[in-house]
Amino acid sequence: MAAGVKYRKAIAQALRDEMERQPESFIVGIDIEPGGTFMTNEGLLERLGPERVRDAPISETALVGLAVGAAAVGMRPVVEIQLIDFATVAMDQIVNQMAKMKYMFGGKARLPIVLLTHQGGGRSMGAQHSQTLEAWFCHIPGLKVVTPATPYDAKGLMVAALRDDNPVVYITNKLGIGMRGEVPDELYEVPIGQADVKREGDDVTLIALSSMVQDALAAAGELAERGISVEVVDPRTLSPLDSATILESVKKTSRAVVAHEAVTFCGFGAEIAAQIAEEAFDYLDAPVKRVGAPFSPVPFNPTLEKAWLPGKAEIISTIESLIPTASSA
Amino acid sequence: MADQKRKGKKFWAAIAEAQSHAMDTDPDIFVAGQDIEMGALWSTARGLRERFGPERVRNTPLSETAMAGLAVGAAVAGMRPIVEIMFIDFMACCMDQIVNQMAKMKYMFGGKAKLPLVIITHQGAGTGQAGQHSQSLEAWFTHIPGLKVVMPSDPYDAGGLMTSAIWDDNPVIFITNKRLLGLRGDVPDEPYRVPLGKAAVKREGTDVSVVATGRMVQEALKAADELAGRGVSVEVVDPRTLSPLDSETIIGSVRKTGRAVVAQEAVRFCGYGAELAAQIADEAFDYLDAPIKRIGAPFSPVPFAPTLEAAWIKGKGDIIAAIEEIVPVGAPA
Repeated sequence: MAAGVKYRKAIAQALRDEMERQPESFIVGIDIEPGGTFMTNEGLLERLGPERVRDAPISETALVGLAVGAAAVGMRPVVEIQLIDFATVAMDQIVNQMAKMKYMFGGKARLPIVLLTHQGGGRSMGAQHSQTLEAWFCHIPGLKVVTPATPYDAKGLMVAALRDDNPVVYITNKLGIGMRGEVPDELYEVPIGQADVKREGDDVTLIALSSMVQDALAAAGELAERGISVEVVDPRTLSPLDSATILESVKKTSRAVVAHEAVTFCGFGAEIAAQIAEEAFDYLDAPVKRVGAPFSPVPFNPTLEKAWLPGKAEIISTIESLIPTASSA
Repeated sequence: MADQKRKGKKFWAAIAEAQSHAMDTDPDIFVAGQDIEMGALWSTARGLRERFGPERVRNTPLSETAMAGLAVGAAVAGMRPIVEIMFIDFMACCMDQIVNQMAKMKYMFGGKAKLPLVIITHQGAGTGQAGQHSQSLEAWFTHIPGLKVVMPSDPYDAGGLMTSAIWDDNPVIFITNKRLLGLRGDVPDEPYRVPLGKAAVKREGTDVSVVATGRMVQEALKAADELAGRGVSVEVVDPRTLSPLDSETIIGSVRKTGRAVVAQEAVRFCGYGAELAAQIADEAFDYLDAPIKRIGAPFSPVPFAPTLEAAWIKGKGDIIAAIEEIVPVGAPA
């Protein structure tokens, strides 16, 4: 397990090698020069130099505005917002400018921007530094949203995001940033808008996002021993969503559970559940279940935070509520 | 009937009156916002300046962050502020104050901070105001623990929910739809409340439940009228408060009718309707006779061109078409 490349290094590799091929690209952010808060930009300054790797003052609005302006005049900016909670400061630039400019200029403006940001609880960083807010960005036409769950997908989606001519919001989970996995040395793309079946199964489809993919795979492993075959689907890109892969899986298994770390209420899982309830209704043998966080701010207290965070145990008990198992029978 | 409707009070007047009644009884209540002194952009504060003076009815500069911050600070120090953000699109400028301060302060101070404040804001398309002034963004706020979110669909609920919002000890986001603001209806002259967290069955029916929010409630009622003539009985449920949601009333209705259509004006993808559909798919699954249909705007910015905007915005016709897909409907009379 110690073998393989770390998630954060997979992102850094993609940034280093792909940006080197794109002379009009540059990266800005707070503490970006030493490698970024989560070291996702390690080695960039050395490789690309101070003109293209720049620290910014603490103003997310200015940072995103810089990206929008630079992109509209032909550059390919990458902007890091340290924590997704701070994207709240820049929502006007992101939603009213970045997402709308191409449309409002009749398709004539091109905005090849990558907005890299990090989210999630479990590090005792308190309610204002631990939120999971992907659902906000998915609700906005004009933004693409990716949430890679493995080092392989992290690198491939970053390369695809850098090559895309539209704004891409690239969201990692802080707890997953040190995860290791197989990552090819060369540049490759994981196509934006393509889900991935991370594990095949017959009894239930478990659609998991970001950090919950690992919990889902662990749950699937445990349930296999009890005779339940779980298919794990990772959308990888949340917008545009690969609904076809998700629906095909649910039509095969006839049961669906959706899992994410965000607060359940009005989270992205609601969209997936709603699509299943409309498009796969005639195939369903059981209610569509959702696993997510309870409706409260993320607790600071580690004991409470642990209880707040959904994970493998919640996934298993939810699946058991749909399928009687040997142990619960 | 038409005469009676013209005689009713307008949606904006019901909101202004609710604020006025509350301000009469509590000197700690004040209102602030851009152009609030002249009665606010949508007239929802009309007459307040004349009645309560410049100390309690105050214009603010164009800084939504400062305005939301003012509300948070004043509320935590014991006042009951009502702050208006003209367009929900401009809330994008103050999400940090709303989400990271307003919504979290009570929790982070162990319940010791009290934030009795109201943010009133206006949303919706159909007024030729283009992509940056026409969005419907209620789903952002309902995803945030610590905020209550109300979205009245008629003048009575607007006045009653405003009164409840003012007297609630927690932050309430009060969202109107611009095109509803001139709607008339019966509104009592004396203070009254519509409780937060309580849905309303706006029309009873037996064949299908239409769970509609904001302006789409009016569209659903028109659709129900039309379908009644074709032998279909439509129940229209209006959550009124989006958070905390009265799931019980919605689930109860769907269990009775066996069919559900969810209707919102916002972009369909990741909108509030997804939450409604997801709850129904979980809690009413065994009662469902048909897929849950969801109505919402297509996935694009709101168009500026009036013809495109008219095609973009959903309404009665879309509700009828969705119902026809899941309920056997007779031919138009």
